Order: sequence, then structure tokens, then C-alpha cells
Amino acid sequence: MEEYPEELRTPPVSLIAVVGCPELHATLSRHLHSEQPPINTLALPDFSKASLLFSTTKESKDNDDHETAVGGILKRDWLLKHRTKVPSVLAALFSYDQLSGDPAQWLQVCSLLDQLKALLRPRNVKFLLLVVVPHQSSNPLNDDIGEDRMLALRKRAELDPKYILLFKPDEPSELKQSLQRLGSAFAELASAYYRDEGRRIKLRLEKKTFNSSSIELHVRYCFKVAVYAEFRRDWVEALRFYEDAYQTLREMIGTSKRLPALQRLVEIKTVAEQLHFKISTLLLHGGKVGEAVLWFRRHNASYRRLVGAPEAIFLHREWMSRQFLVFAELLDKSSAAIQNISSLVLATKDTPLTEWESRPAYYYQLAAHYLKEKRSSLELALSMLETANEMDNSAESVVPSAYVGQFARLLEQGDAFSMLPITDEEYIRFAVAEGKRFQDSFEIIALLKKSYESYGDLKVQRMGSFCGFQMAREYYAAGDFTNAKQLFDDIASLYRREGWVILLWEVLGYLRECARKRGTVKEFVEYSLEMAALPVSSGIDTQSLRFKECGPAGPASLAEREVIHKEVFGLVCGESELPQVESRNNLQITGDNPLHLEIDLVSPLRLVLLASVAFHEQIIKPSVSTLITISLLSQLPVSVEIDQLELQFNQSDCNFIIMNAQRPSSAATSDDKQGHRVETSSSLALATNKWLRFTYDIKSDQSGKLECISVIAKIGTHFTICCRAESPASMEDLPLWKFEDRVETSPTKDAALAFNGQKAAQVEEPDPQVDLYLGASGPAFVGESFMVPVTVISMGHAVYSGELKINLVDVKGGGLFSPREAEPYSLDSHHVELVGISGPQGEDESQLGTDEIKKIQKSFGLVSVPSLKCGESWSCKLEIKWHRPKPVMLFVSLGYSPQSNESTAQKVNVHKSLQIEGKTAILINHQFMLPFRRDPLLLSRIKPVSDSDQPASLPLNEISILIVSAKNSAEVPLRLLSMSLQLDNDSVVRSYSTPHEVEDLDPALLVPGEEFKKVFTVISEVNSSKLRLGTMCVRWRRDSGTEEQSGSTVTSVLTEQILPDVNVELPPLVVSLDCPPYAILGDPFTYLIKIRNQTQLLQEVKFSLGDAQSFVLSGSHIDTVFVLPKSEHILSYKLVPLASGVQQLPRFSVTCVRYSAGFLPSIAASTIFVFPSKPHFKVASVRDRRTESLVAE
Amino acid sequence: MPEKMIVCVAVVGHQNNPLYIQSFTEADDALKLHHIVHCSLDVVDERVNNPKKSGSPLNETFLGLLYPTENYKVYGYLTNTKVKFIVVTTDLDVRDADVRNFFRRFHAAYVDAVSNPFHVPGKKITSRTFAERVSTIVKSFGLSSAG
Repeated sequence: MEEYPEELRTPPVSLIAVVGCPELHATLSRHLHSEQPPINTLALPDFSKASLLFSTTKESKDNDDHETAVGGILKRDWLLKHRTKVPSVLAALFSYDQLSGDPAQWLQVCSLLDQLKALLRPRNVKFLLLVVVPHQSSNPLNDDIGEDRMLALRKRAELDPKYILLFKPDEPSELKQSLQRLGSAFAELASAYYRDEGRRIKLRLEKKTFNSSSIELHVRYCFKVAVYAEFRRDWVEALRFYEDAYQTLREMIGTSKRLPALQRLVEIKTVAEQLHFKISTLLLHGGKVGEAVLWFRRHNASYRRLVGAPEAIFLHREWMSRQFLVFAELLDKSSAAIQNISSLVLATKDTPLTEWESRPAYYYQLAAHYLKEKRSSLELALSMLETANEMDNSAESVVPSAYVGQFARLLEQGDAFSMLPITDEEYIRFAVAEGKRFQDSFEIIALLKKSYESYGDLKVQRMGSFCGFQMAREYYAAGDFTNAKQLFDDIASLYRREGWVILLWEVLGYLRECARKRGTVKEFVEYSLEMAALPVSSGIDTQSLRFKECGPAGPASLAEREVIHKEVFGLVCGESELPQVESRNNLQITGDNPLHLEIDLVSPLRLVLLASVAFHEQIIKPSVSTLITISLLSQLPVSVEIDQLELQFNQSDCNFIIMNAQRPSSAATSDDKQGHRVETSSSLALATNKWLRFTYDIKSDQSGKLECISVIAKIGTHFTICCRAESPASMEDLPLWKFEDRVETSPTKDAALAFNGQKAAQVEEPDPQVDLYLGASGPAFVGESFMVPVTVISMGHAVYSGELKINLVDVKGGGLFSPREAEPYSLDSHHVELVGISGPQGEDESQLGTDEIKKIQKSFGLVSVPSLKCGESWSCKLEIKWHRPKPVMLFVSLGYSPQSNESTAQKVNVHKSLQIEGKTAILINHQFMLPFRRDPLLLSRIKPVSDSDQPASLPLNEISILIVSAKNSAEVPLRLLSMSLQLDNDSVVRSYSTPHEVEDLDPALLVPGEEFKKVFTVISEVNSSKLRLGTMCVRWRRDSGTEEQSGSTVTSVLTEQILPDVNVELPPLVVSLDCPPYAILGDPFTYLIKIRNQTQLLQEVKFSLGDAQSFVLSGSHIDTVFVLPKSEHILSYKLVPLASGVQQLPRFSVTCVRYSAGFLPSIAASTIFVFPSKPHFKVASVRDRRTESLVAE
Repeated sequence: MPEKMIVCVAVVGHQNNPLYIQSFTEADDALKLHHIVHCSLDVVDERVNNPKKSGSPLNETFLGLLYPTENYKVYGYLTNTKVKFIVVTTDLDVRDADVRNFFRRFHAAYVDAVSNPFHVPGKKITSRTFAERVSTIVKSFGLSSAG
């Protein structure tokens, strides 16, 4: 598009001229240019220049109309002339002084006006007068002289009054207004000028005043009308006339005889190009992308067949290329403005627009295509001319002539120049010479690159790749192999992915040649091998593979594959060197320059060599041999003899080499692999699409994963292919070949192995030959340090760097502490705790070496085991303490290595676990009792209280009895060492133990389920509703059964229990029954009932005493008494027993009216034993306190 | 050489891999036809993925003109199993009806070919019968409706 003249490329801008008052011109032209639409200004400093401007074009004015023979269609400089030379309006500037001055000045003005009028009239240029009024002078319209002069001026100039304007440059406010007025007047006049001009020419068109056979003139007039319309911004009319011109022009092709055939066509095409450019621009400018594309399609269809003479084909193709390029550029420009271009696609029914036709990329691509064709036909034309040796310098004097698309010979005859028409032959010579000056390939690459990038932005990868491919071919042809290779590589990967083998073959052929030219052996071999292994067979469509343009690789065929195969294997085996053409470094593979190829899972070279490795067993024992199958597959067309195969494992001890028995020479090469296993196979020939299978046994001494990493094939002395091993189970299909209809076989004969075979196997640990014993017996008790002996006995292995790991795990899962505990890290948080690990018996902990590990945490321990020889044993004890009853799982694992050397860190592990129940050994209970036959009235007891949590109530200052029992809830006998009540605060409670202190006791034996009781006397002296009594402390230990020989290990355990709080209150009444311990038949005794009032109030007490058949009694049965405050009322009865044995005393009941509390003594309290006669007691000292305390209940 | 002419037909599989591609041209530009067929897959993708943009909703197997190149026109067809048929013609004024008709017959031939129990789905079509049948359909292209 840049090669078009500027006046064609840009929309026309009206042109006006100003003359006189040159100091104002800059202001005027600046303002007019910034107008919307802008106006260009021709500034003429004085009036003499005005005549110059118009006189130059004067004589040619009438030529075009009346010329009998029309020289051409469009004049080359017509548009430029109207853009830059012919103004539509002329404005004459006079200063007011000139007008109002003396008559001489006025006369001068008048003559100037006449001159101008004479100049302007024949060409219809509009005229405008501008009177410049200086600031200081008065308004001429208010001035008599001024008014007269202005009127005279108007008459003189024959102007409408509105085209005589006043201009006041010195007043800023006036200036702006004047400029605006001026601008609109100019625009109006310019528009009128162009409209008149257009109308004038339109009239000619309609009346056919010109030679009607001259279609040239018709086209020219249409063009002119359209241009004038464009000046007026009447786009619709412009478009209509451009289209008219275009269509008329198209009709001219067969009819015009004016020029030699070839040049005639060139002229028509050039004009058509300009017209089409205008039409496309206007359409795209109006946002009518769809119409523009359809118009272009029509343009293309009408001219693409007009090739012209055979020797000028290149001109046609160049022209075609330019059409596409220009349209692409126009689209590119407008698509920036129109965002959503695809939504604008106007698909008509017959000719739907396809996706890419509204994209610049499509046109760039085709432009490149035509340019390429142009290049080839230009080369042809050039060679034809050269062979004829007709190249002379006659072309040099050929220049563009006055008409668009015409050329002529410029003849210099002295000072005069004349144009001579040229013949077609001359013209072609000229065109060829012109064409030679351009480097088409750069242009082609630039076009393709635009297309490539544009398609890339649209994510249209295949089109883009095709452009890239063409680009790369250009680079290749230009010798830029680096760029070419880069592009080809990208494209090859697309074709590989989509399986377009034929296209891939072509690209690889180029890549191979690039590598050859660049002297990169590795790439050359890789591309060659890939090509040789491509699925190109002779079976299908051979007929279509006779490509003319099939690249350096030749047509894709089996024969060609074989040729490439042989060539590359000749090279890698060192048998031949590549006959190198122009490059300095020959491609060869020598000892100094060995070649090593890597094939991984995504490499395109998987076609060349595929290695599948399958272990026959997934889990293998150490040092036990198992089978491994190695299968190789190649798609190379000719079978390949491998010299040596090396298998590499992650355990390098397992690596081994398979030698080809038929190549004895290669034995020498294995020297460097000394110490590795070497197998020999009778044949290592790899045939096309046929698995080569080997099965060998393999064993590993090392536990863990054994994986085959790669298989390295060595061919010749300096060429190796390292192929990543693949598992048959997870092997992907061969790319490209998977679409082929071929025989597919499994890598192993065993179908099951082919289905689930893996390239890796797990080598188990050696069986441990060390025993680990956990010797815990029975349950553990809360509070004690429970000992778990652990013994390590070596049965067959020596133990080196042994480590014992101990873990305590809650059986129910979760941690060993309750979540309710406030601080999880506090000392008490663990309910079960690993307290310590003690060494073997007789070995002090200090004897353990400092380097040996011993780490103990709450639930985890780590201790190192000293080295043990075969048959030795070692033991330690774990000390575990329970804080709560809880079952716990103890895991102990021993890790050791059977060998002493550290390097083979082959650990063997033994695991043992044991569940240990943690139980409570001693259950402590307590009970409060009141003294016998003495009952205080405790008010808190008579209230109806449902709350069972109510603390026990104790009377104040009365003796209470606390009975504490310790029960053995364990399953083993225990020994009770002591039992005591620890008082928190002595001042609150006075405690009296029973007379016998437990400390002095022999440790009491408690068999399971047995209870031990102890009685304490408590007198509370403080009236408190919540009295803390203290803590029961019971010290005990396990009864070892036998004598106390193991007492050193069995330590005593202290179990503590806090006694619940009690409620101490003052009883208002205390009723005590007083009677002798026993009675004798017939012997009267006194039965006293004492009611003590401890309150400050008078208490009314009702009492009653029932009859008893065993007794005769004296005293009142029923009465109401009043007990005085702080005094005691005593009811006294005399009783005579009538029967012996255990007898029920007369039932007595008391009711306190004030508290509504009744009292009935218990049966036990009102029972007495009656001896038949007076007994005789022998008082003996109490020996067994224990039994007595038991009977205390 | 008749005026209306098919120069290339192709069957393209799910992974955009060629299953069958055959050119019917005397000139040695089969490779170029491979390129054209391959490039046309972009348009098929575009039409299938953005049916709204391309104007007509995609409710039939015939995709219409995919794109015009310098000398050829490329038409597409998409079967229910997402196998694409591409045909490249020389003539610039091919009637849609002709192409539709061609594709219908071609589809029938394809269905017969892949119904062969020895054909593995997804592999290239190597049946000779299919090739012959296709060449018959290609030869009769445009005759029925034009003549």
C-alpha cells in the first residue's frame, strides 16, 4: 500500500488559496487545517503569484475533452494537481487602509480585483474577499466612507455580501469569531466548487458530449466525479462512481485497441487496482467488512484469469500479489478499529463468507503465494531473455508516462524531452529489468511472517504452521538454516502429534538437509532415523506420491526409507562418510567424535527403538534370582544388527551386558565394564516390526526397588542409543504407527506379562534372624512403674548398629492424653507415660556409651542396642507409668544391620507389639457414722432433698466416725503398707484415729476382692457448709507371693484419694439413749433418754414410749415436755427384763414440734442382750487389732 | 478433463489424523493437497467450536465451504462419530447440492468400509474396495445434477 502515491492513499482534502496580507497567512492556514473537516491552504504572498498559479495549467485545460485520440485512461498527475495546486476558493485579503485610503489606492484595489476575476472566472474557482480591519480604526460599517467603499467593493467584485468578510486580527475575541466565520465560508464555497465541478463532468457523462466510443473518457469522468464527491465527503456518491468506473473499465478489456496488447492490459489493471483500492477503502471506512470482502472476491475473480502474454505472467502474478497484500493491509488497519470482526460476517446464501476471508492473515498468505509464483515466472522470463541475449540497456530510458499504468521511452533531444511509445517487447525487457532489482524472498518471508503471526494470534495453528512451513522453505532456499530449522522443528511436532506422515516426511527431509548443511551429526542421524522409521509404505497411494515439489527428501516411499536407512547406518558404523557438499566439516563419527542418542518416552525416535522390560515377579526375595524379559522393537525398514546391549538398573550391581556372539571383535570393548555380568546371545538382529526378546535371570542382594532404567544399544564402535526402559503394562502405543493397519504383537510371549509386566520390582528385606521378646505379665496398675522386659536374642544374624524404637499407642486410637487437659504438653497430660528404659541387669546406665542413642519422650523411646554376635542376647526394661486406667498398645521395633560395615545400610527390621491393660489396683471408699445411741437432729437431713450430690452432713462438736475401706480390685494379691488421713488444715477438723496405728501393722495381705477398713474419729469444730476433710493415702505394693527377695524391684505405690467435702452444722437437739451394755434377766436397770436442747429457744418435744413384751417398765408413755434452752431433759425409765436373749427395748419416739422432726431410734440402737444370769467376763488384752477393726461395723 | 473436478478427498479421524487421503490430479501437487486438507481442519474446528460465529447453526453434517484457496475450494463434512470428510475441488462455481450429494455417497461408502469386521476403528482405511468406490463417486461428481 505504501507504494501508492499519497494523494491516492489519503482521503482528499479541500484546497483553498489566500492572497494578500501575507502576515496573516500562517494564522489562517493553521486554523483552517485544524477545522473539521480540514482545509489545506495555498498561501500566495502577493497578487502576481496568483496569475502564476492559474496560468500553468491553462493550456492543457481543454485538451482532454476535445482530443480525438485519447492517450490513456487516467492522467497520472490529475489527482495530485487537485490536491495541491488547484484551489477551490481564492480569498483576497485587503487591509482596510487600502480601501479607505486615497483614490490611488482604491484604484489599485479595483484593478487587482479585475485581474483576479479574469483569472478565476474560466475555471469557476470561488472568490472571497477579506477586509482586514486593524484594531484602532473604527468600524467601517459605521463610517460613511467605509460604508460607501464597502458597497463599491462588493459591486466591483460582484460578490454576495456574505462573502465579503471583516477580519479583526488584533482583538482576541473578534479574531476567534472571524476565523470561525471565515472557516464556514471557505467550507461552503469549497463544497460549492467541488459540487459544481462534479456536476459539470456528470453532465458530460449524461449527455455523452465526448466521443462516445471512448470508454477511457467515461472511466476518467466517473473517476473525477467520484473524487469531487470525495472532496465533498459524499462517500455514497463517490462509491457509486468508482464502482461505475470500475465496471466500465472491466468492459474495456476486450474492446480497447489503443495500445499494444500487453501494455493495454497493464494499464487497465493498474487503473483497476486504483479504483479497487478506493472502493475497498470506502467500504472498509464505512465498516462494511463483508461487502468489502465480497467486492474483493469479485475483483479477484474478474482479473485472476487475465494473465496476458506468457512472457509477462510474472507481471500478472506480481499484480495479484499486490492486490492481496493491499487488501490485507486495509483489513488489518480497519480490524483494529472494528473489534468484533467475525460478527460482521455477511454471509449471503450463494456465496457464504468463510472464517478466514475476513482475516488479514488469509490475504497475506495468498499475497505471498502469488509473489512466489511471480518469482518463479520471473526467473523463467529472465532465463528466456538471457538465453536470447537480448539484454541491453534500452530499458534504462523507459519511464512512466503521463497516464496511469503507461510507460514510454524518454528521448532527450537537446533541451526538449519527448515521449515515444514503446513496443511490448521493450516493455517486457523493461519490466524484467525492474523485477530483477527486488529481492522477492525477503518480501515473501515478511508476508508469510505476518500471516504466521496473525494466525498464531487467532490460535489457528495448522494454517499458521503451513505459513511457517513456507517461510522455512524460503529461509532454507536462502541458506538461512538456523531460522529454517527452528520453524521446521515446530511444524514437525504438529505433524507428529496429528499423524500427518507425508507432511512430516517432507519437513523432516528439510530438517535432515539443514542438519547436513550445518554439519550437526547428531541431528542428522536423529532426523534420518526418524524418517527411516516413519510409517510410509509402498502399499498405499504411490501414484499420488510422485510429487514434483517434494523437498530434498524425495517422495515418501519405502524405497526411499531404505535408502536413508542405509545411508545413516553406513555413517554410524563408520563404513562410509557422508559425501559432503559445500560444508567444511564432514559428517563423520569417529572415536574422537562418538555419537550417543537418547530416546525417552516422548521422543519421536521411539519408532526407531523401543525397549520394554518386564520382571516376571513383582516382589522378589533378596539373593534369589528371578527372570527378566527385555524386548526390543524397531520400525526401521531394514533389520539392524546390534553389537552389544547393556542393561542399566538403579542398583548398578545388577547391570549386565548382552554381547552379540557373531561379533567377536566387540568383546574387546567390554573391558571397561569389568566386574559386570556379560551374557552372550547368538543373534542381536532387530527386524522390522518384530520384537526381539531376551529372558535372563537376575538377582539382587539389596532390598528396595530394583528398576531397569535404560537399555543401551551399541552399533558399530562409536554409536550408542540409550533407550529408556518402559513397562509393558503402561506402554503407550507407538506414535504414528498406531494409525497404521499393521500386525501388533505384544512385547512378551506371555500375554499376562505383557498386560501387567513392570520394569521395576520390589526386593524384599532379608528375613530377620533375631528374636524380640516383650515379657510383660498381667495388667499394670495405675500409679505403679510397670516394668516391661525387652529381650533381643540373636538367632542367626549378628546385630550391628541396632536401634530399638518404642511406641505407646492408645488402643482406641488417638493420643495418650485426654483433650480436656488444659495443656497438652504439661507433664501430667499423658495418661500413660514411658518413664524410662533401664539397661540389662547388672549393667548400669552410666556404662552405656555416650555415642549410643537414648531418647525418651512421653510415648516414644529410642534406644540403641549394642552390637551382638550370633547367639548373644541383650535385654532392657521399659518402665511405663499409668496415670489413668487405660489399655495401651506397646510397639517395639528393632532395626539392625546384619553386616558390620556401614556402607551397605541394609537394615533389617523386627516388629513386636503387646497390649497392656492399665487398671486401678485399690478402690477407696468411705462412710460416716455417728456414735452409738446418740443422734443429733441435723436439719439438712430432714429437708426433702432429691439431690444425691448433697455432701454428707456432720454435727458440730460431736464425734463422728469415718470408716475408710480399701478394696483390692486387681487380680493379684496386694500388700497394704499404710493407710492414713492427711488433713489439709488441722484447725478445722480434729481427727482421731482408732487406737491402733496402721503404720505399725505388718503389711496386710489383700487377696483380690478383699477389703481393708479403717476407722477414724472426726470431730468437726467449725461450722461450715463445705468442709474439706483431707486426703486418704493408701500405700501398697504388689504381693510377690514368695518371700521378699524381689522387694528391691517392687516398690510401694501411694494411692491418694481426696475425701469429699462435708457439711458441718450445729444440731438443735441431740437425743441419746443411755442404757447398760447388757441386762440380766429379772434385774431391773435404768433406761435414760436424754434430750438436749442446744438452741437458745424453748423446745417443745413430744415423746412416746411403746410397750414391749419382754420388759416391764415404769415411767410415762406419752407426754409433751419443754426443754429449756441450753439444757438437757432426761426421761428416766426403769426396766425389768422378762426374757433372755436379744430383746427389743420398748420403742421410743420423739417429735420436735418446732422442726416438725420425728425421731425413731434404729432397731440396732434399741436392742439389748439379756443374760439369763449374771455373766463372768475374763478381760484379755486385744491381740489382733486387725480383726477388731474389721468387726467395728 | 471435465470442468468440475474433485482433486482430493480425505477422511480425518478424531485426533485430526488422516485415515484416508487420496488425490485425483494429474499434476504433481499431491503434497500441496495434503497441506490444504490439513489446514482446512482449522476451519472445521472453528465451526464446530464456535457455531454461532460462523453464522449458520451447526445442525447438519455438511459444513459447507471451508475456505477458498488460490486454485481450489475446500468443503467439509462431519459425521456423528466426529470423523471429518474433506473434499477439495478445482472449480470455483461448484453447487452446494452437488457437494452434499457427493458427501452423502461418500459417507455411505465410508460406513460400509468401517463396518468391515477386519477393520480396526481409528486405523487407516486400506480397503481397496473403498478406494475403488470412492474413485467411482469422484468420477460421477457433478454429472447427475448437471447432466
